[in-house]
Order: sequence, then C-alpha cells, then structure tokens
Amino acid sequence: MKRPLGTIAGARSGDKGGDANLGVWVRSDEAFEWLNRFLTTEKLKELLPEAGEVSRYELPNLRALNFVLHGLLGDGVASSTRFDPQAKALGEWLRSREAEIPEELL
Amino acid sequence: MIRIGNASGFYGDRLSAMREQLEGGELDVLTGDYLAELTMLILGRDRMKDSSLGYAKTFLRQMEDCLALALDKGVKIVVNAGGLNPEGLARKLDAKVGATIGYVTGDDLKSRFPEALTANAYLGAWEIAECLDQGAQVVVTGRVTDASLVVGPAAAHFGWARDDWDRLAGATVAGHVLECGTQATGGNYSFFTEIDATRPGFPIAEIDEDGSCLITKHDGTGGAVTVDTVTAQLLYEIGAPEYLGPDVTTHFDTIRLDAHERGVRISGTKGSPPPGTLKVCLNTLGGFRNSTTFVLTGLDVEQKAGLVRRQLQDAIGEEGLTWTLARTDQPDAATEEQASALLHVTVKTADPKRAKGFSRAAIELALASYPGFHVTAPPSDGTPFGVYQAAYVNRDEVSAKAVLL
Repeated sequence: MKRPLGTIAGARSGDKGGDANLGVWVRSDEAFEWLNRFLTTEKLKELLPEAGEVSRYELPNLRALNFVLHGLLGDGVASSTRFDPQAKALGEWLRSREAEIPEELL
Repeated sequence: MIRIGNASGFYGDRLSAMREQLEGGELDVLTGDYLAELTMLILGRDRMKDSSLGYAKTFLRQMEDCLALALDKGVKIVVNAGGLNPEGLARKLDAKVGATIGYVTGDDLKSRFPEALTANAYLGAWEIAECLDQGAQVVVTGRVTDASLVVGPAAAHFGWARDDWDRLAGATVAGHVLECGTQATGGNYSFFTEIDATRPGFPIAEIDEDGSCLITKHDGTGGAVTVDTVTAQLLYEIGAPEYLGPDVTTHFDTIRLDAHERGVRISGTKGSPPPGTLKVCLNTLGGFRNSTTFVLTGLDVEQKAGLVRRQLQDAIGEEGLTWTLARTDQPDAATEEQASALLHVTVKTADPKRAKGFSRAAIELALASYPGFHVTAPPSDGTPFGVYQAAYVNRDEVSAKAVLL
C-alpha cells in the first residue's frame, strides 16, 4: 500500500543562493537501508517534478540523504518569483508524496 | 567544559530570547546570529539611507535590556549583529553601556567589488578569539560564518591551535546546530506532533576540550533536544559532506550522535585544513519588482487566466512578467475559498516606472475582465530587489582585524 514518505521520514530544507537543499532522514538502520535504495536522484525528480539538476549525498551516520536542487530558486530569495522562494517547505512537500514503504518499517 | 548558548537565529528572532537564556540557568558565552544572505541586502539598503546604520538594531535594544544582567553573571556576548557596520555598532554600544567592547572588521570587500551593493567575505573564528583573549565582554562582528560565533569562544577558552582540525570541526558542528536557534530544539520539526513545540527553548552547547559537545537547553523550557531534532538542524543548508569553512573543513559524514539524559552528545567529528579561498557574499541591485494575485473562482479557470493574462500583456507588454496558475480550486466546492484558484504574476524590470505602472494596469481591469475579478491584496508601487551571488577570493586578499575599544 502506498503511504506518504513522511510516515517514516523527517526532512528539512532551505536556500543557499539560487540552490535549495533538502535533507531527509529516517529513524532506524533498517529504514535507512530502504531509503538509501529507494530515494535515488531519479526518484526524487519523479516525486518533485519541479526539480532540475540534482546532487545527492549520503550521510549513513545520520541515517540521512542530502539533496541539492540546483537553480530551483533562480537568483536567490530576494529575486525569486517562486512560491516559497527560500525552499522552507520543500521537505514537507516531499514528505507528503506517496511511496511503497515496506510494511515492516511502518 | 564551556557552555555556549544561542539567543538568535535571524534578524527578527524572539526579542526576549537573550533574557530567557541569561535568566534560565548557567552559561559562559551567549551568541546570536543576525545575518542571512537576505539580511545583508536589507542592511545594505539601511546603510544607503544613513551611513551610520547597517547593523541589526534589535541587538542594541537587547543590550540595553540585558547587558547589566550578562555582566553580573559573567556571561560574554558574541554576535554578528554588526552586519555591514560592526565598528558603528561597537561605538554605539560603548557610548551606552559600561563594558569592554571588541569588534571584528575587514570583511567588507566593496572596494574590490564596486558594482555590488554589499560585498562581504565570510571571516572565521580567530579574530573573535583574539577579542576575547584581550578581555572583551562583548564582541560584535560583521560577516563571519555563523558557526564561528561558537568556534571563536571555544578556541579562546581552550587555547586551541589553528591546526587542531578535529577540535575545530567539532566546535563547528556545535555552531551549526546552534546557529538557527530553536530549529535545533523542536522548531520547524517534521515530527512536531510527538513533542510540545508551543514555545521551544533556545539551544546550548556544552563543549569539551576535545571539541565534542552536549547539545541541551535550560531546564523548564519548551521544545525538545533529541537525536531527531539535532539531525534535522544538521541537515539545514548544507551541501556535500565536506562542509567548507574559513577555519576548517568539517566532515559531516563522521559526526556521531548519541541520546543523553539532558539532550544529545555529539562526538567523533573529523576536520581537515580549510580551502585556500574565502567565500564572499555579494548582493547587487537587480532591479524593481511588483506582483499581484488574481483570484479565479468556479468555472472556466484556464480561460479566466487566459483572459486576464492577455489583458495585462496588452496593457504593459510581456517583458519581465512571470505567471503562475495555482489550481487550488476544487469542483463543486462547499466554500468559496475552496472553489478558487490563484493566478500569481510578478514583474521584474530595470525601470521603476514600469514596476509602478504594473499595479495601475492590473487595477484598471477591475470592471473589465473575467467574472468574479478580485485580487488578494491591494497592489503597491513595487520594490527594489537584490540578486545574490557567491564569489571567492584568496585569503591573503582579506585582512581581518580584531579591535578593542
């Protein structure tokens, strides 16, 4: 059954100039093993179709992945015409997207 | 061990936080971050109007209220509230309150980047440490990295060397956790339903000689310090796991977090030498912007958007317009608001007259456009906007200085 990713994952996002960063973490080693396999760059772009060029970094010690969404905010917060110009809620958007989460992680 | 607290995560944060941190329990140093990329632009515009300004004015009010209390308790204050004018803020403080004031200067690179409204190098911790070593009770800086506000006092307290990479990296992590105030203690936290997030307390790092620390907060304050709240803040505004700073490169993939009865222990952090260049925050005036939002209710939403778009473009031309149609409407809705979509339009232009004329043109449509025409807020004259850029300069092109008044 599909469930929102935020059922098991937390997220925090923000801005660095025209780029947005989006950190996603989970709360057990088993959940991280799944997240790390599931949430590839391609999957992130599928869940957040507004994303363009994306860099992905793994932080297994924090059970976390960090994504940098290049150019999402144009020339930065003061100039961006984007809804949510500082990407504050990007992470909460991702958490609301649905995914097939293994039953044992719920 | 040195106890370093935070009382501000941005210019505009909870004004009473400084008093809460001073009265709530023991501290050695109280820090505050007032500068974001956007804040530098706001202060740049303040400085254009009055060259004696350009610093965070709320900090001055906090000091009038709290400095006597801080001095009484032996708590030192370290903030970047100096913004574009640390010397000006230091002199104002010196005239008002009886304390030894130090300031850090040398970050302003406007002469090197004359086309920019503001150009400031991100300085590091060592000038802050120098001010404290010389006996400063209050240190104000301009653009330093947010984490330096914590690294400086720790380095001064323990007498760390400039190549104590692991210690500096550990303190940088503590600084990164503290720099956004209550974002470390349950503010803006994904699992907020699991804690009482009504009024989170501000964070404290108890840093040990080896650079490891305990993240905690005063007893009796709200929010929570857990492995999850600290993880959330560690992930804020980072890029690659090699976190570059002026004092040290911090390896975020080596950080170890452990739950503790009073909060979270952070240990294991590895550091390596910093890059040979310093980052520079450049804000240039990009032009003028104005925007409005048309509310499109009920049937024919796409056609309504098409009509008003054609009308506005006919009136002022297409140049610099960005349109976004948010389909927030639901069919057969039980409330008027749920039956409505929002059409946002923004103009960005070099010509202030065009930004102003945009509003007039939008309003002239009020009786001549789609059925149900209205806008969410009255249009304004438009405002200037900035463009942020990062630049990099060699370290030897920047001469940072610690000054004691």
